[in-house]
Amino acid sequence: MRVRNVLLLGGAALMMVVWTFPVLWGLLTSLKSERDVLAYPPSILFEPTLGNYADVLFGATTILPNLVSSVIVAGLTTALTMLFAIPAAYALSRLDLPLRKASGFYVLATQMLPPVGLVIPYFLILRRIGWTDTYQGLVLVYLTFALPFAVWLLVSYFEEIPREMEEAALLDRAGRLRALWHVILPQAKGGIAVTVIFVFLNSWNEFLFAVVLGGNTVRTVTVAMFNFISLEQTQWARLAAAAMAGMAPVIVLGLIAQKHIVKGLTVGAVKGGGRR
Amino acid sequence: MTAARVELEGIVKRHGAVTALAGIDLEVRAGEFFSLLGPSGSGKTTTLRILAGLERADAGTVRVNGEDVTRLEPGERDVAMVFQSYALYPHMTVAENIGFPLKMTGFPKDQIFQSVKEAAARVRIDHLLDRKPGQLSGGQQQRCALARAIVRKPALFLLDEPLSNLDAKLRVETRVELKRLQRALNVTAVYVTHDQEEALSLSDRLAVFMDGRIVQVGTPEEVFSRPATVAVAGFLGNPPMNLIPARVRAGAVEVEGHSTPLASLKGFDGKDVVVGVRPSAVRIAADGIPASVTMSEALGEDFYADLLVGELLVRAKIPAGAPRPAERAEVRLQLDPGALHVFDKASGERL
Repeated sequence: MRVRNVLLLGGAALMMVVWTFPVLWGLLTSLKSERDVLAYPPSILFEPTLGNYADVLFGATTILPNLVSSVIVAGLTTALTMLFAIPAAYALSRLDLPLRKASGFYVLATQMLPPVGLVIPYFLILRRIGWTDTYQGLVLVYLTFALPFAVWLLVSYFEEIPREMEEAALLDRAGRLRALWHVILPQAKGGIAVTVIFVFLNSWNEFLFAVVLGGNTVRTVTVAMFNFISLEQTQWARLAAAAMAGMAPVIVLGLIAQKHIVKGLTVGAVKGGGRR
Repeated sequence: MTAARVELEGIVKRHGAVTALAGIDLEVRAGEFFSLLGPSGSGKTTTLRILAGLERADAGTVRVNGEDVTRLEPGERDVAMVFQSYALYPHMTVAENIGFPLKMTGFPKDQIFQSVKEAAARVRIDHLLDRKPGQLSGGQQQRCALARAIVRKPALFLLDEPLSNLDAKLRVETRVELKRLQRALNVTAVYVTHDQEEALSLSDRLAVFMDGRIVQVGTPEEVFSRPATVAVAGFLGNPPMNLIPARVRAGAVEVEGHSTPLASLKGFDGKDVVVGVRPSAVRIAADGIPASVTMSEALGEDFYADLLVGELLVRAKIPAGAPRPAERAEVRLQLDPGALHVFDKASGERL
């Protein structure tokens, strides 16, 4: 038993190292001067500087406008996705619609298309309607990925909520919409939080579509970071500082959402009920 | 609030190729405690859900106080329901749970608070108003569900096996309280159960469901003492009624060569029948149907003997003070002619 515990602990520690190393390394790099970055062997002890952050946030190569762009794109994508995905997923989980099973697979199938195959057609479509380098253009394209994914994810959460819940709410005169708002959504809070994080992260980190369909007006953080890599040289320290700055909003969102991801919220709601 | 009168007329419900309800006609009188009793899958819960408006009937009419409510949404009918699973809202406190129907109806806050306190006091959970359902015991959760149902003072109260998740002792206590509550509120209650003891002890009248049909409606005494079919006879009573195949000959039923005369059997000569006789009406006597004792058991205060008649197992209740037969003893049985139920073997109907 003890040996097993030690092994498990060792395994966990190893995984922690693997997971935290890139972040830690990025953090250290962002605090180095460009000269220290290139030192070989890498120096663990160095004179830390906030110069890189000053540069990428307030200097000539500021990424602040790009952060704003990213927040707008990812925020709009997430908000619109949830606005449409929640009712859609709820309907799919509850109503006996024809082709319900098939729709689940269709939704998954849209995720199987390689994005590279889509980027040119999307570009052509957006150019024709004059939406290249616009927020609505990029958000629209992101929705085509985020919406099916969010619906698919949310359906499973809604299905876990016993049907008696809204039947009770209907008998309590809530009606479908208020039953959804007062009874179902609070219980699906965890699933909604998870979905929000995934959707936001996906569009926040997206690069391929952003670089092709964006431009000077809409340039997200990922595209801006790419500018630190050029043919002549790569500005590693600044790139790392930009990456750290780019992580911050997502971390904040994660911390907010985590409060709502409470497991076992429905325990004690129904006796002997559950999934049917 | 006045208690509702409920009528079901020709209710049919199909789930795909399966017919769940094959024409249900039923009248529940105002203020009545009415049970829908039957084995699982007999259609009693479906009937209740159609009454509640949670399911649509494929044919037929539901009337409450003479008004056709067949097409009305659940919230538009003046009904409240207690679910088998209680269906409490886990993210709300007990007070919010109980007050939810009032909030949805648009009552002012202070009035909701007052009504919630009253309803909670009636089921004695007024000290638990700030808890969440997950922090309550099973019995308390059940009371919370009851309070949520009565807070709105509905005209019709639907209960879907509300006691089945409680332990045996609590079940009997809650049963008594349920009836008292229904009487005090003067509300019509429709109660679904597969537990005959519950149905017989609670109901003013009850309907016995079998295979999507109602086979008998009556008071508990009527249904118990005059079951309409073999199936009802076999379903009601614990231990169950003995059902013995026999033939009518010369105004008497003949079992294993021994006749028990019955005045009501004139004109049924030669008919194959099933004789129903409760264990209490089987007597061990000096003369009668030959049988051998296979086993005897004590069920609480009562003592029962399992007897083999031909190849059929017949159970007899041994009266207190009477000698208890030894196992493997050969005995003779008399059937009490006044307590015999005779059914047509072919149709299962009572003769």
